[in-house]
Parts: sequence; C-alpha cells; structure tokens
Amino acid sequence: MSLIKTVDEISSNPRNRKAWLALACVIFAVIIVIPAVYVIFSIPSNWSGIQDVLSDSAMMSIIWGAIWNSFSLAFIVTIIDIIVGLPMAWMLVRKSYRFGKYLDTFIDMPLAFPTVALGFSVIVFWGCPEGITVPGTGLVVDPYLMVILLHIIFTYPYMVRCLSGILEQIDTNYETAAMTLGASKWTAVRTITLPLFRAGLVTGFILCFARSLSETGGTYIVLRMMGATTLDVTGFFTGPTLISTIKDIPETDSMPVLILISSLLIVFALLMLFVAKAVMTRLRIPWRKVWPQFGRRVSGRKVAGTKDVLAFLFALIFVLLPSFYIFVCLGTEGTYSDYGGFLGAVGASFLVAGAATVFDVIFGVPVAMYIARNRGTKRAELLDNLVNVPLIIPTTALGVSLGLFWGQLGLSSMGMLLVIFGHISFTYPLLVRNLVGAIEEVDPSYEEIARTLGAKPFQAFRKVLLPMVKSSLLAGAVLAFTRSLGETGATQAIADVSTVPIYIVDLINANDYFGAAVSSVMLIAICFVFMFGLRIVISRMGGKD
Amino acid sequence: MPVIRMTDVCKRFGDAVAADRLNLEVEDGEYLCILGPTGAGKTTAMRMICGLTLPDSGTISFDGEDVTELETAKRGATMLSQQYSLFPHMSVMDNIMFGPMIKEWDPEDSKKIAANLLHMVHLESRSKERPTHLSGGQQQRVALARAMASGSRILLLDEPLRALDARLRLELRKDLKSMVKSMGLTAVHVTHDQDEALEMADRIAVIRNGRILQVGTPREVFDTPATPFVANFVGRSNVITGKVSSREGDTISVDCGPVTVTAMDPVHGIGDDVVVAVKIGNTRISKKEEGFFSGRIERILYEGVSITVEIAVEGLGLISSKLPNRKFDDYSEGDEVSVRWMPSAASVFDIPECGLEEELRVE
Repeated sequence: MSLIKTVDEISSNPRNRKAWLALACVIFAVIIVIPAVYVIFSIPSNWSGIQDVLSDSAMMSIIWGAIWNSFSLAFIVTIIDIIVGLPMAWMLVRKSYRFGKYLDTFIDMPLAFPTVALGFSVIVFWGCPEGITVPGTGLVVDPYLMVILLHIIFTYPYMVRCLSGILEQIDTNYETAAMTLGASKWTAVRTITLPLFRAGLVTGFILCFARSLSETGGTYIVLRMMGATTLDVTGFFTGPTLISTIKDIPETDSMPVLILISSLLIVFALLMLFVAKAVMTRLRIPWRKVWPQFGRRVSGRKVAGTKDVLAFLFALIFVLLPSFYIFVCLGTEGTYSDYGGFLGAVGASFLVAGAATVFDVIFGVPVAMYIARNRGTKRAELLDNLVNVPLIIPTTALGVSLGLFWGQLGLSSMGMLLVIFGHISFTYPLLVRNLVGAIEEVDPSYEEIARTLGAKPFQAFRKVLLPMVKSSLLAGAVLAFTRSLGETGATQAIADVSTVPIYIVDLINANDYFGAAVSSVMLIAICFVFMFGLRIVISRMGGKD
Repeated sequence: MPVIRMTDVCKRFGDAVAADRLNLEVEDGEYLCILGPTGAGKTTAMRMICGLTLPDSGTISFDGEDVTELETAKRGATMLSQQYSLFPHMSVMDNIMFGPMIKEWDPEDSKKIAANLLHMVHLESRSKERPTHLSGGQQQRVALARAMASGSRILLLDEPLRALDARLRLELRKDLKSMVKSMGLTAVHVTHDQDEALEMADRIAVIRNGRILQVGTPREVFDTPATPFVANFVGRSNVITGKVSSREGDTISVDCGPVTVTAMDPVHGIGDDVVVAVKIGNTRISKKEEGFFSGRIERILYEGVSITVEIAVEGLGLISSKLPNRKFDDYSEGDEVSVRWMPSAASVFDIPECGLEEELRVE
C-alpha cells in the first residue's frame, strides 16, 4: 500500500510524470527498437567477412532464393487470406447462422497453437512424410505449396479478425441508403462498404504479411520433414529457416552470412511496410463503374448462400482440419518418456513469456497512453510508427540482430536474459497496439474529472482509466504471452535456451516424430488450459462490473 | 472577498488565442455564468481555474491565495462536464464516494455524507445501480452529488445541460441552481445559451476571443450592453449605423441614411459616427401611429409565446420586431408598418475598430 501511495505522491509532480514517460521511451528505444535494427549497422565492421559471402555465388543464389521465397510466399498467402477472409468476416458479422458463435471461437484456435505444432500437423495432413505411420492425404509434395498451406492457417485468423473488426464499425445505414437509391445488394457492398474497408485491409495486410514473413518454427519443421533443408541446390529455404539452418551448422564462422541475410530481410521488410501503406492507401476500388445486371444476378439468395458455404468449407478444409490433425498422431505406436525434459522446456517457455509480458505491461502502458492521448502530434505519430517496426521485422532476423547488439555489450553469456529481451521486442507491439485502441475509446474527461475530485494523476489512472481498459489490457497480455510461447526463430537465433518449440524442433531433428507429436499436443493442451483459465478470470472481472 | 480571481491570464494554443489578458472575479457563494460563442475561450477559462490547463502568464487565486501552479487535486475546484463522466465501472454510491475514498476520509463519516447527498438529490433507491442505467437528469444529479461529496467549495459546470432533452433542460435550470445555492457553493457555469445564462446567473461574464467584454447582472447585460456584440449576442438586437445630427438634453438624433432615429445617450457629440442597437423585443411596430421610419412586412414567424416580424426597410435592410403571439392576427405579409422605440431602450456605441460586421460575427 505504502508503495502505491508513494507513487501517488510522486505522480502529482508533472516533472516526475515527464521523467517516467521519458524513461519508458528510452527503454523502448534501447531494449526494443535499436537492438532490432542493430544488425544493419554492424555491416561495416564485418565487411570483409560479408565480402567473402558476396563472392560465393552458390551461397548467394541460396540466399536470394530464400529471400524471394519468403516475400513471394507472404504475398501469396496474404492475398489468399483477403480473398477467403472477406466472405468469412462478412458471415461472422452480418449473418446470424446458428453455428456462427462456434465458428467464431474455432477460427481463433490456430492462434493458440504454437506454430511448430501446426507445422507438424500440416505436413502430416497434406503430405505423407517418411517415418510416420499416420496416413496423410499425400496430396502435396512441393515444399513451396506446403509452406503456403501452413502459413494460411496462422495468418487467416488475423485477417478475419481484422476485417470483422472493421466491418462491425461500418454503419449498415450507408448500404441501406445505397439500396434505397436503387443499387442491388452486391453493387451497394462493392461501391459503398468495400471502399470504407481500406484501413482494415491495410492493417490486415501488414499483420498477415509480417506474420508469414516472420514464421520460422513451423516452416522449418515442414521443410525438415520433407528433407528440403540441405544447403545446396536441392534445398528449399525461406529467409528465417535459412538462418536457422546455417546457425545449426557447428564450428564455422557463420556470422557474416547471418548478418547479411538478416539485414536483407529487415531492410526489405521495412521497405515492404512502407510500400504496402503507400499502395493500399492509394489503391482505388473501382466504384464508379457499375454493372447493374450482373450485380442483380449475384445478389440473389443462391449466390450468397453458395458463397457462405464455400467460405465455411475453406475454413474447415484448409484451416481447421489440418490444425487438429495432429491429435490423430497420438493413436499411432511409439514411445515417449522424456517428460522431465518437456517439463523443463515448459518452465523455460513460461518464464520467458511471463517475464516478457510483465515487462510489456509495465513499460508499454505509459507509451500507449502517450500515443493515445497525444494523437496528431508529431512525437506521438513517430512513436506510433516505431512501435510497428519490431512487428514487421522477421523474428529470426530480429534475434540475430539482438544477439549481436547485446553480445557487443558483453552480455552474450546471459542467454536467458537475452531471449527474454528478444521476446519483449516482438510481443511489445501487440500489447501496445491493443492498448492504444482501448485508451482512445475512453474520453479523457473521466480522468480529468477524477483529478478535480481530488485524485492524483496516478490515482486517476489506477482507479478510473485502468478499470475501464482492463479487458483490453488483459487481451493484449494474453496475445503477447501466447505469441511468445509459440516463438521458435527468435529464440533459436539468440541463444541456446530450450523452450518448448525449440525442444520440439530438436526432437524432429533427431527423427523422433512420435515424441514431437506428443509434445506438440501437450503444448497445445497447456496453452488451451491457460487461455481458458484466463478467459474465466477476465469474464469474472467483467461480471463484477 | 472574492473567492476566485483571475488576473491578466493569457493562454495560446498555437495560433489560437484562448485567453487574452483575461480578468475575472467570482464572489463567495456566487453563481456566475460565462457566456460566449463557440471558441471564445469559455472552457479554457474554466479548465485554468481547476488546473487542468496551465496559463501561459497571469495569476489565479482562491481566497487571496495564489493557486496558479497548484496541482488540480489540491485545488478543491470540481468540474461537472457535459457528459457528467460518471465512472461506468462503479455504482452510483461508489461514484459519490470517489472523492472521500481518494482523500481517505473516515469511511463512516463519508458514508453519512454520501447518504445525505443521495437523499438531497432524491436517488436513495438507486444507490447500487450503474450510472448507465439512469436517465440524463438523474446522471446529472449523481454527478452533482459526487462533486459535493469531494468537499470542494467551487463547482465548475461545463455546459451541464447540453446533453439533456430540450424540455428537461428548461426544467433543470431552476433545480440545478437551487441545489448549488442550498449547498453554499461558488459556481462557475459555462454556456453558449443566452437564455440559460439570463435565467440562471447571479452575474454573467460575456467572453469573446479570450477577453471578458462585460460582467454584470443579467439585467445589466441585457439592458445596458457594453458593446454592440453583447447587445446582439445577449438577446437579438437591430443594429444600425449613422451620424449624430442633434441633441436635446440626453436624447440624440442619429441620421441613418434615408431615416433618422432617436436614442438616449449622454456621451456622443454632434457629428460623431455611432452604432445604435435596439433589442428586437423593444422594437415596436404600428399600422396607425407615426414611427421613425416605415417598411413592408417580409415574413412573420410564429414561435409559440412570441412572434417575430421581419420588416424590409429601404436603406436599412431587415429590421425585426418581437411581439406577443396575440398580435399574430394583426399583421400579415406585405403590410406597410411604421417602426419606433423608446429612446431609452436604444444603446449607442462608437463604431467598432474592426468594423461592424466583424464585431457582430458570432462564430
């Protein structure tokens, strides 16, 4: 109590408040932004090594191939997400099918699955990997296509969420007005509602693109089990999995290669963010031209119904079934006994995720408040854009960058701490983004009135603002926590800390597929119990209100 | 002894001037209305009183004690906002107890205070409900009780009636003032609604472009406006310009192009350019008697209790006259009528430096 009271007292001095904000910004810069892009600035000092790599044409063709794969994959996956996510979002928001509520919950589930588990599940479902007795469909043998199928699963929920969020905010009155003016349903939606979607599309595009670009663990497992991770012309890589593979080769000085790949990934990713924003805000949905006949024909019940069925079937066949297929593996024969190792990994995972989330909350809240309450000022906009940086950078590249930065400062022996720092980097934006949105919804007059009633600034925050944004804060924290729990690439790139995803990758590398399946299922179970428990806590807290 | 004194207070937001050497005194226990158009600096003035906005220069004092730099929490000036800002996550009772809880008063005492206040605002039966379940009027009463419970002696009301239905707004004017008075508070009420200010205020301060133009009782502000702007903003006026042509005692004649009008004015000399303003309610029309000038009725607006007749006068433009509604049948559009007023009902001003049109502009 007395600590809180001291903070109350301290908060009444505006100079202290400024100092606290400044501290949060400095920490944001030093722990999150600067280490994330440090690798680019390390190029000059490693130039001779990098020159060797640049002159190694076999290596270079692998690198360029990997980067091309990463970006083209992310682009294709995102476009597919938009095409199939839109009807699904539409169905969830505007239609009231009886199963809609369950669908709503199911769509989110792949988000709770660690991507390594998803990767395993997907390869077993679509392919027929050797050494596994579970019958898959055996339809897909091309690594490129397989990775697309995998990435759709964990980007699709983001897209659907993003689009349905916007859709809920768009007033149906506009559409109704267009229809009373003589437009068919299809024409009304296309010319009125879709153009209003643009902001949501940009956010969804960037989120999905970044997520796909960043993913390491699941992709690595898929490629490893397809035998496509040999460092020669027969291999198939994405940028992050190339980093993982090179890192695993013992006793060579791979640093220059890693620096080169990471820098290329980071630079292209940031360029991509820039270009995506510019293109999407200028993109014009052709709303001036209308095809009334065609519009009327596709506005019929039959077409709408078919569209809904297709959207549902897509979600079922390409997202839900492959995700849950891993449970089938449990029925196969095999032995797994390394529960001690698994529990140790779970402990490490929870420690990292917990520490990162707590840090995010403590230092993310002041930054989120500043951004939300100073909208339109240059400083707030700058901060807002900087928060997005770690979100778009592939986490494996981020890990390499981070390892270099802290290693330079002589901290490379403290592996666990560095892994936590790494996880802070890519979870921080998730929490801050969520919180900024929530705080913007709350009228600042609540806090102001509280202060005129005698509350010190920190009291006003604690007793008034915090209870009002509590659920968003918790949702952001859960998002950050599960994201950290499922991360492979960053952990691998930073240090030798065996979190659960790393543990599973190690099992796969040792060809213990059954063990990997069991561990994946156990990890999924733990995630679910954890999220379920949190959901109960949240609804309890909500119920009290 | 004045409770609140603002001395030479200045505040700018970028290029916009919100307070320009603003001076204002509010007496102990007084109900003062700050009246002005949108963007005049009303809300800024109030936010500076409670410390949510800090002035660029100048001082603010309560009871002679300088509070310019004092933090909001310690000022004892509570704000009541347009939307009342009742904390949605707390019950009515908890909202009222917010001030005492924050200040850590004895819980038993504070409960008694809160119970008393709830009784006073007639909401005992709803103490456990969420504020969102209450009607607008009830929410306002809770907000008022919450402000009282915090022990503040100064209440700042930011357009407190704006969010209510038109009908309720009229009824609550009386209630709000009598509650504030019975609790012995000093109140500063910001509004852009002149009727509200005239009806509720002990004194009105008319503000524009961050400057106080006039402070006085409603009657003073209405009957003897200090500037043409005040004359037109507080109760509409017919405003015409002319040159003083002759004087008989305190009564002057003013040449306004084709017509000549008279007004009571001890100051201006013959040959001075002046502005003459007459409240439309004091502007009389007649079909039989002689007036200063005559014109043709363009339009008659039926407004319930009153009617407004608009008369086109050659050389002057439209002149309005507000009459009781029983006169509605006496006039019809196209009638020729004469216009006049009591010389004592007209106010005479110098021509404003910025020009008359600029002076009268409301936005």
